[in-house]
Amino acid sequence: MSTVRPSRRGVLTGAAVVGAAGIGAGVSAVASRPAAGSPTPARTVAFHGDRQAGITTPAQDSLVFAALDVTTTRAGDLADVLRRWSAAAATMATGVPVGGPGGLGGALDEPPQDTGEAHELPAANLTVTLGYGPSLFDGRFGLADRRPAALEELPALPGEQLDPTKVGGDLCLQACADDPQVAFHAVRNLVRIGRGTVRVRWMQLGFGRTSTTSTSQSTPRNLMGFKDGTANLRAEDTADLDRHVWVGGEGAPAADQDWMRGGTYLVARRIRMLIESWDRASLGEQERVIGRAKESGAPLSGTKEFDTLDLTKTVHGKPAIDVAAHVRLAAPETNGGVKMLRRGYSYTDGLDLATGQLDAGLFFIVFGNDPHQQFVPVQRRLGAHDALTEYLKHTGSGIFACPPGVRQGGAWGEGLFS
Amino acid sequence: MIRSSRPLLALAAAPLLLLVACGGGSGAADESASGGGAANGAVKITLTDDGCTAEPNSVPAGPASFEVVNSGASAVTEAELVNAGGRILGERENLTPGLTGKFSLKLDAGEYTVQCPNATTDTSKFTVTGAAPSSTEDPLFASATTGYQDYVKQQVADLVTATGAFAAAVESGDVAKAKELYGPARAPYERIEPVAESFGDLDPKIDARIADVADPASWTGFHRIEQSLWEKGSTEGMAPVAQQLVADVGQLNTLVQTTTYQPADLANGASGLLDEVAKSKVTGEEEAYSHLDLLDFAANVEGSRKAFDLLTPALQVTDAGLVTTIQGRFDDVATALKPYQRGSGYALYTELTPDQVKDLATAVDALAEPLSQVSGKVVGAANQ
Repeated sequence: MSTVRPSRRGVLTGAAVVGAAGIGAGVSAVASRPAAGSPTPARTVAFHGDRQAGITTPAQDSLVFAALDVTTTRAGDLADVLRRWSAAAATMATGVPVGGPGGLGGALDEPPQDTGEAHELPAANLTVTLGYGPSLFDGRFGLADRRPAALEELPALPGEQLDPTKVGGDLCLQACADDPQVAFHAVRNLVRIGRGTVRVRWMQLGFGRTSTTSTSQSTPRNLMGFKDGTANLRAEDTADLDRHVWVGGEGAPAADQDWMRGGTYLVARRIRMLIESWDRASLGEQERVIGRAKESGAPLSGTKEFDTLDLTKTVHGKPAIDVAAHVRLAAPETNGGVKMLRRGYSYTDGLDLATGQLDAGLFFIVFGNDPHQQFVPVQRRLGAHDALTEYLKHTGSGIFACPPGVRQGGAWGEGLFS
Repeated sequence: MIRSSRPLLALAAAPLLLLVACGGGSGAADESASGGGAANGAVKITLTDDGCTAEPNSVPAGPASFEVVNSGASAVTEAELVNAGGRILGERENLTPGLTGKFSLKLDAGEYTVQCPNATTDTSKFTVTGAAPSSTEDPLFASATTGYQDYVKQQVADLVTATGAFAAAVESGDVAKAKELYGPARAPYERIEPVAESFGDLDPKIDARIADVADPASWTGFHRIEQSLWEKGSTEGMAPVAQQLVADVGQLNTLVQTTTYQPADLANGASGLLDEVAKSKVTGEEEAYSHLDLLDFAANVEGSRKAFDLLTPALQVTDAGLVTTIQGRFDDVATALKPYQRGSGYALYTELTPDQVKDLATAVDALAEPLSQVSGKVVGAANQ
């Protein structure tokens, strides 16, 4: 632990400012580290900073998530793509086309650098967040000794029926924006830039946020019709973020790989909701399963959404919050104090052709600095005991190490390949 | 058959090729490497956060050298010279305060702009007066285009021979022989498909699939016979189709004797062949009855590579990095195809697993992307 830890103030003041500035604005701008004296323009999120954007950034309305495989064994080619991705992501984050202001046009005899569909749309708070999968460290790129211990493939977990075409990946790109076309444009252009070096392994579109990552935001509902993420970590919870989310943060386990200091781990789970069954469940059953009132979002031990969970309260001799209720089993109190930053999105991929049922649910994304001590045990408990499990099926999965942010003039991959 | 909307070959004009500029495009050479002799225009571009202006903002046509100076702009770190079509002819990037960069170009008369992204005013006018210096035909491009002309003639000559043998087998009712000769007749056609496509309805007559024709009764060409041979195991009624095919291929042969090509034709042809592969060969749609799609695939790639290789000496001057990338990716495609070689032919498309198809498609896309940049490079170089 000889390295100087990033200053918490420096890291999080941007987000804290948003908490105030965002009120009444509806949509807020946030930078993880705004440059002094140059206010971030509205509806843009700075790409550069100590932390990657798209983690504590107030959750945008839509998601395009891509898991990619590297198709070359030339580490230099991969590093080059990461550099070009950084430049493109930084440009797109300001609402400017790939290749600069002229990226859309150019000579008639060559393809435009930018694909064009985001032209004249606002930046819509676009963020692009990069992660490295465990398979990237398998020796193809000379990175075997750079794999952090925490970046281990997830073990088999209860409640999962994984579709092999929606699992894993050498890399991931999480693009979030308040306009789905802006988010898609970002991933499409990055995939284009990477062609020949990377290819998409699987991809997921999310159409509505199911989490709140800042106090400036109201709590959204997931496809079960319940408010989701009421008890989530927020950008403003700086001490908790250091302890539970940022690698090497204060109170967190020490970073075993220096390049990951200030980064975090992303676990993605495609959670299919068996919504036909759910919709047939009585309101009482739905509320018992979740542990909250459907309309208000209040825990069944209280009366208002943000009332603290009282897991000991009984009504007529029975627990107010059922022993198998989702909120009980997911609560930090039940999980040795484990907290995670959730950032999920509702998804639908149309129809399950086998059954004719709707293929819809939650694309669950969670950030934490030690997923095998955070996500894994919580999911084991949920998968085995949670009443909600009856209505869910985990069909896709991935774990990725998100490195720290890119400084001005820097690029993704610099820490890893240095 | 090509269904691409890519511009067809320009066939009428004889090649009029201009001198390769001393570093067009984003990889413009620095002054020391320009080899352009004394520039009669020396231009200084100063970057400020407010904007960038060229001093002087007008030079006579001919060689010009640009010096880009950042004497203190924090938000602006690059300048570009852009032609009226919006193409960047020369640029210097990553010039943080205190740094200077240079590039040299040969400029034709016309209106240009100097652009410096992120400045308050990011565009200023730049004028080149007078007429361009008299240009000479660039020998690198000239040998590329005549080389391609020779290649096309040779392939069509092979096509005529192979199609003649194939048609004879069809006419004699020898189904087995006809099936054997079908593939060898297809390959030379697929190598030069964009050229055939440029002759209006000749390509549909030779290479249409049943889904391409308005009236199946008027369907002619290779695939009509392919269907009969593989679906029906018969040559019945195919003799007139075979005779028509021989006539159409003969007409193609006549046409290519006098056809000339522009550098952009080679580039677009190389690119178009790859799009063909991605669209109909890697999907198994082209040879729906015989499943010889990989043979067409390989022939398309060969034809594409030939056109690209011919352009390489000229492209090496403007963008050597692009040449290296594309060559590597052509090699990757060849490597990806190799496991499916069977003697002088290829495995049937139906033998491939979905994962194998995906790997082939990925290799083709990886090549097609940088190959799509070539046209702009050769046109830019030829016009400067």
